[in-house]
Amino acid sequence: MDERKIKTALADITAEKDPTIKSQKLASICSALFRERGVELIVVGGSAIEFYTDGAYASGDLDLCYSAGSQPLSLRLRQELMGKLKGEGGPRSWQVAGMFVDILGQIETLARTPFRKLDAPYGPIKISQPEELLVERILVSVYPGENETARNCAKAFLSTALRGQIELDWNEVKRLAQRPEYRIFPQCDALVKEVADEVQIKSPLHPDE
Amino acid sequence: MKSKSKVPCIPMNESISWEDWLKGRRARRESSKLVTPEILRRKSSSSDGRLRKLFSGERGLPFTPTSKL
Repeated sequence: MDERKIKTALADITAEKDPTIKSQKLASICSALFRERGVELIVVGGSAIEFYTDGAYASGDLDLCYSAGSQPLSLRLRQELMGKLKGEGGPRSWQVAGMFVDILGQIETLARTPFRKLDAPYGPIKISQPEELLVERILVSVYPGENETARNCAKAFLSTALRGQIELDWNEVKRLAQRPEYRIFPQCDALVKEVADEVQIKSPLHPDE
Repeated sequence: MKSKSKVPCIPMNESISWEDWLKGRRARRESSKLVTPEILRRKSSSSDGRLRKLFSGERGLPFTPTSKL
């Protein structure tokens, strides 16, 4: 990606006032630059949740991980690439175009479903699987104690998925919730039923009832 | 589960175009708000210091109202 294109993108992202669009555009330019060097970035955390729900959740930071098959991501390479975006700070967190970008470690995922993909303005971005984000939020909503924000996030996910706006693999949700790393299936089942009742749709975890 | 709406669905195995993702924003927000409060953003986190400094005391830019999505 040449300097002129980067400059144009940065001006656009800096001027963007919608926090959800701003973070997806920023993820797009970061992904494009890192992809050129063999590193695939994945959007995780609040920006990933916002991508699926538009639920007014994300803060002013963008969390990215890199995928398992990527080239090694040295601190020097991080600094070089984020430097092209005029990023201030580092080596794991930068201020860029009026937001913070955190590049965390290699993504940890148990999900067997694919990362979802968005053809964003500066190149495609990959987003953490909604099945695992949902099960994670349900775990955090009850363990180690009740967490209302996490519960509301999970409910937003469920409502958008139940209403057909996200294609979710419900068998994968069930499998993940039952795994020893989560052990949250009864709570997951109950919350799916609760939201399904609220939006008047049959629970996909009990299609025959 | 089959889509019950004409709103573009975020698919599992293909990419969603930017235009379709934008087109679905309002419907996704409305679905979320059927079962949750208006704003879900956390009130605090370990990033509070840097966020509030950058966003004039807030933790991020204000969200676009649903009516303008």
